[in-house]
Amino acid sequence: MSEQGTQKSGGLSRRDFLKLMGAAGTGLAFAPFIPFGNYMPNPSSSSLEKVPVILPDGTQAHVDTFPVNHAEVITYPSTGDAALDAEAFRKWQFIRLPEELGGSKKEISSFRGYSMICLHLWCLWKYWPDEGRKRGECPCHGTMYDVLSGTAYVGPASVQAAPSNTLPKLNFEKDSDGFLWILPPKWGVNDNGVIGYGRFT
Amino acid sequence: MAASLERRTGVTAFFYWLWDGLDRSIFTAIKFSFPARFVSPFGFLGMLTFIVFVILGISGALLMFYYQPILDRAWDSVQFINDEVPFGFHIRNIHYHGSNAMVLLAVLHMYYQYFSGRYKIRNEVLWVSGVILGVVTILEAFTGYDVIFSERAELAISIAASLTTSIPIAGPTIRDAALGSGFSDFVLRFYAQHVFLLPIVMLGLMAVHFPRFLVFDVPMVMAIGGAILITGGVFPIDMGFKFVPTQPPGVTVPEWYLTGIYAFMRTQYDKFFTGLVWPLLFIISLALIPFLDRYKKFSWRDRPMITAFGITGLAQIMVTTYWGFYISPNVKIPLVERLVIDPIFFYSVMILLVPLGFGFTYMMIKLANESERKAKLHKENAPQKVATINLTEKWINWLLVALLAFQVLLNIAAYNAALTGMKNVSLFFVGLILLVFAGFFHIYRYGLAQANNPPPPPPPEPKEKPKLKESQKETEAGKLPKDSGKLEEKKELAPEIQIPKGKTDDGSDVSKSTTTGSTDVSKS
Repeated sequence: MSEQGTQKSGGLSRRDFLKLMGAAGTGLAFAPFIPFGNYMPNPSSSSLEKVPVILPDGTQAHVDTFPVNHAEVITYPSTGDAALDAEAFRKWQFIRLPEELGGSKKEISSFRGYSMICLHLWCLWKYWPDEGRKRGECPCHGTMYDVLSGTAYVGPASVQAAPSNTLPKLNFEKDSDGFLWILPPKWGVNDNGVIGYGRFT
Repeated sequence: MAASLERRTGVTAFFYWLWDGLDRSIFTAIKFSFPARFVSPFGFLGMLTFIVFVILGISGALLMFYYQPILDRAWDSVQFINDEVPFGFHIRNIHYHGSNAMVLLAVLHMYYQYFSGRYKIRNEVLWVSGVILGVVTILEAFTGYDVIFSERAELAISIAASLTTSIPIAGPTIRDAALGSGFSDFVLRFYAQHVFLLPIVMLGLMAVHFPRFLVFDVPMVMAIGGAILITGGVFPIDMGFKFVPTQPPGVTVPEWYLTGIYAFMRTQYDKFFTGLVWPLLFIISLALIPFLDRYKKFSWRDRPMITAFGITGLAQIMVTTYWGFYISPNVKIPLVERLVIDPIFFYSVMILLVPLGFGFTYMMIKLANESERKAKLHKENAPQKVATINLTEKWINWLLVALLAFQVLLNIAAYNAALTGMKNVSLFFVGLILLVFAGFFHIYRYGLAQANNPPPPPPPEPKEKPKLKESQKETEAGKLPKDSGKLEEKKELAPEIQIPKGKTDDGSDVSKSTTTGSTDVSKS
């Protein structure tokens, strides 16, 4: 009360100075805890390497033996831990296109690998090779995916704005013996896509 | 007869000492009343919700002994509980049906308070904390049915995670931080939230939400417990199908308290708006109700606009809840046509329900006012009091013995059913036992109240009601000097409880039945 005169003279009052110091001290005391927020996201991610396409029966996919107009579920990146490999985020539809879309060619171009996580509400879709279908269908809300591009053309995922209408994909490579390999993907909307979010075509 | 029971033995003295010691704790701030006669359960639905919360806490803790929150083991561990662990089926069914009962009771509790205008008279904080508590309750129930990791649970988790991701800008970060990077994280973190984080939040909110006057009605609590068990016996919850990532799941719908939101999401519009913004708007408008309601009166009849909004909202919830469940059984048409709800049709129905809700409310208020006017006109014709069943002492005693014998029979039947593997039958019988105990306790307290009354005077007079009250007071007054000073204080508290109750009750038609003739536990 007595320092009202000094306050007029422009200086910081003692009370305000103490408050400022108190706030700064409190802030500094808790500042080191901000990076602790990194505790929350799980950092474990398998290293992304070039690995063979391992089919559910344990064999490596081969251009000569994998049937045309057919799909299998592959796990990538596979960890060897059964609990982690049961992860839907690691499940991909490995599809050989039907004949009319060029699936009979013994080339990489006749294979597709799309994340099984539907872009709408993250159900797991699958490829239906039946005559008249030949597309990916989600069992939950009926989104249909074009097997050539991985883009939804019917259903709720198709009305979502890009990139959330196109499935993330895997790129493959064929070695000289005809065996198929998965190339290390880059998780980004402009590259292989983000699982559950999508990819720009 | 009474004297021998009222003498304090060592154990009784210890309990009195304990009861007096509680005076130092927070519990004396809460005024419990144990009704001595039937009280309408609408007045203490919140307390019943809390009781079910306690039941869920106990049964959930027991389930934690066996459950494994691991992606490929969660379902198997639940199956182990269900099929192998003795009485695991019972515990799981109690937990599952208890969760449904808790959500249902919480919703009923909220709507009762809503239509009777209890959120007024400085109860705004209670109301808002209650709305938040309700939302957390639903999240708690939701995370609970997800950790089974059946097909339906996996779909529910994927919807929750994808909705979180759909929040603009911060969504993916929130999802990564709160739910983790994949399904193995989701299961584990949903579990952590289900068994610890959300219950702790609920307990904290309850500390704010609990009013100071609480009713603990033993028969009604037992009846609710019995109803949960009987429902479990009649509709035992199945295991669902184990989720296998290589096999796309079948068509499923969420639990009944979420199908309303699910119906909105099935209209194909943006999932962020239909799945998050619309429910959030609904919750916020509910929370704001006490600040929008400017009516001076409490009864729903005197607050037409608020009642109309409530009725409309209720009608929309019912319609969307049903619509969310409904999937055309015709498997010939494509799935997308079976599942996607035509948004124009859907939203037109939502809008149409507004005038219907308002019209219905208008009609109900008119009818209620009319019937009240008629009742006032013909007051002399109306029955003076509600019909009562008066049992003599002998018949009360025989009834209690008969109910005890019935309970023995049911106990044998329940145990026998459990032994022979008829789990749901035994669950049904245990529920029946609780119901019988509810009736037993009601008759017991009725008998106690009768025993406190002196025998009726020889000339029967027509004015029965005031006489009874007087005689009750006499016995109470006569008992008081015998009791200790502390007990005297508590006896004085009992009538206090009625005063605020009566205040909040005014206007609502239930007030007649909520005359809490409170006794306290020390009454023997």
